[in-house]
Amino acid sequence: MNLLLSALTIGLILSLLALGVYISFRIFDFADITADGSITLGAAVAAVLITHHVHPLWATLAGALSGGFAGAATALLHVRFRIHPLLSGILVMTALYSMNLHIMGRSNIPLISERTLASVAEQWIGTCRGGSPFINFLGWEIPIRDAAMLAAMFGMITLAGIVLDLFFRTHLGTAMRATGDNAQMMRALGVDTGRMIIIGLIISNSLIALSGALLAQYQGFTDVQMGIGMVVWGLASVIMGESLVRSRQLGLAIMGAIMGSVLFRLLVAIALRWGLNPNDLKLITALFVFAALTSPRLLAWIEKRRRAAKQLN
Amino acid sequence: MLDIKNISVTFSPGLPNELKALRCVTLQIPEGSFAIVIGTNGSGKSTLLNAIAGVFPVDEGCIRLGGTDLTRRPEHWRALRIGRVFQNPFSGTAPNMTVAENLALAAQRGRARGLGLALNRQTRNLIRNRLENLKMGLENRLDTPIGSLSGGQRQAITLLMATWNKPSLLLLDEHTAALDPQSAAQIVQLTNEIVQHNQITTLMVSHSMAQVAAFGSRVVMMHQGEIIHDVSGPSKQRLRAEDLLAIFEEVRRGDQLDPSAAELLRQRYV
Ligand SMILES: Nc1ncnc2c1ncn2[C@@H]1O[C@H](COP(=O)(O)OP(=O)(O)OP(=O)(O)O)[C@@H](O)[C@H]1O
Ligand SMILES: [Mg+2]
Repeated sequence: MNLLLSALTIGLILSLLALGVYISFRIFDFADITADGSITLGAAVAAVLITHHVHPLWATLAGALSGGFAGAATALLHVRFRIHPLLSGILVMTALYSMNLHIMGRSNIPLISERTLASVAEQWIGTCRGGSPFINFLGWEIPIRDAAMLAAMFGMITLAGIVLDLFFRTHLGTAMRATGDNAQMMRALGVDTGRMIIIGLIISNSLIALSGALLAQYQGFTDVQMGIGMVVWGLASVIMGESLVRSRQLGLAIMGAIMGSVLFRLLVAIALRWGLNPNDLKLITALFVFAALTSPRLLAWIEKRRRAAKQLN
Repeated sequence: MLDIKNISVTFSPGLPNELKALRCVTLQIPEGSFAIVIGTNGSGKSTLLNAIAGVFPVDEGCIRLGGTDLTRRPEHWRALRIGRVFQNPFSGTAPNMTVAENLALAAQRGRARGLGLALNRQTRNLIRNRLENLKMGLENRLDTPIGSLSGGQRQAITLLMATWNKPSLLLLDEHTAALDPQSAAQIVQLTNEIVQHNQITTLMVSHSMAQVAAFGSRVVMMHQGEIIHDVSGPSKQRLRAEDLLAIFEEVRRGDQLDPSAAELLRQRYV
């Protein structure tokens, strides 16, 4: 039960990563791999502020904001200096590795004994419910800390999803979506498409860094290596979400990214439980994305063969 | 009034494949007039329109529109006053967005793109009204992704988008070339209506002699990056397709003499 609970919570936290990846990869068609660095940046900034006794809410917000700067840097490299999107992301991600070490001062910051959002949420529900450290849910005894965090994340991600959906229906948000769809047309309509990309990557990387800041507080530490492979993880969630909702419609796509992230995390938790070697996790994730990217063509090919065989008969 | 003075454009300058696509082109188009650009393939027609729109900077010269100097302005800045329809029907609209969303984007041209909802009831009604004027039944397909419409329908919508808020200049680059003859005729008709009705200063590239004879008040012919003929007034009205073809033929024949051969001939006979 606890395993399920923690998988759900981490899935929800990482759905912010999935939303960020959705914005850059799907809305802008910009293969932004800054994410590996910005998720750690968010976690690092939040952790350092928390260890300096800043209120965890402010620390989390600052973490998210720092991701915005990383996104802006990548976007500027591409827009102003005309560097290829992939390379822009690699440059910023690489630079961020050193930056994160500088910010953290060492390679790992434990947060277990600090006042984090997790402990605040725990306290808050604890005072509402009286002394017991467990909460009874459908007959299960759940630690209040886990229940509180899950509830808080659920509320927060729902809110984020709704806000994003609304945002992408505004004049600005529509212009951003159209920039990803047909940049030439947007320039012909008087829109500075470079600016749209900058704003887009700021939003995307803020979400990703927010995800990092929350993850650090939930798991109780920030590690300078925690971002490695996160873009692929986010992409896997987005792809899984797309196969769940089977729609490119905005609201559904956003919901799909969230659901995909949770489902993917659950599957991984189950696989680990069955004895999957944790070291193989990133390999499996990459294989999954590879399969998802190639399977449409494979299916089309099989379909073609099948039809050809039918015609022969 | 569009006022172009001595603009030149060179592609790949300094490289072996250097190409002077425009050579000191000077052209003035008075407010509200409809000029058509013709010329052989590769003569620089699209380059001229793209230079005006700011797709790439010019090497020299200046471009003014209604008294404003556009020469150093970026493409999106110029686009606030210039409407454009491209040859490729896929270029002018965002395929994965709906008809209404595309038109809403165009309706916002020149206004701040803030956090107001892009599609409210009022905008939708306005869009529906304007689509009714096209008489293509598109007013019932507001929420269809544009990618699923035909080329002709997309060009009609692009035209509507380009002229939604009256532009100071409309640039049409063979915007009917990719369509079947029927749709092409429909779009040309529509273009003429919109341009006449709003008195929009228009520069249109065309390969169709019939179009050239029927529309516009002026014909500009380009060759190798230069304007070599400029017909307007009564002589434009009398202009037949055959006349144009004759000029074309003449130019083409002239082309076969390369400069050194021409020089030799001149030395021998003059
Ligand atoms: N972006 C570019 N880079 C390099 N060369 C170019 C570019 N655009 C056009 N050219 C070259 O410039 C010359 C003029 O091209 P342009 O497209 O203006 O011709 P056009 O008159 O529009 O021809 P068409 O009737 O075929 O459309 C051609 O030789 C073309 O190959
Ligand atoms: Mg052309």
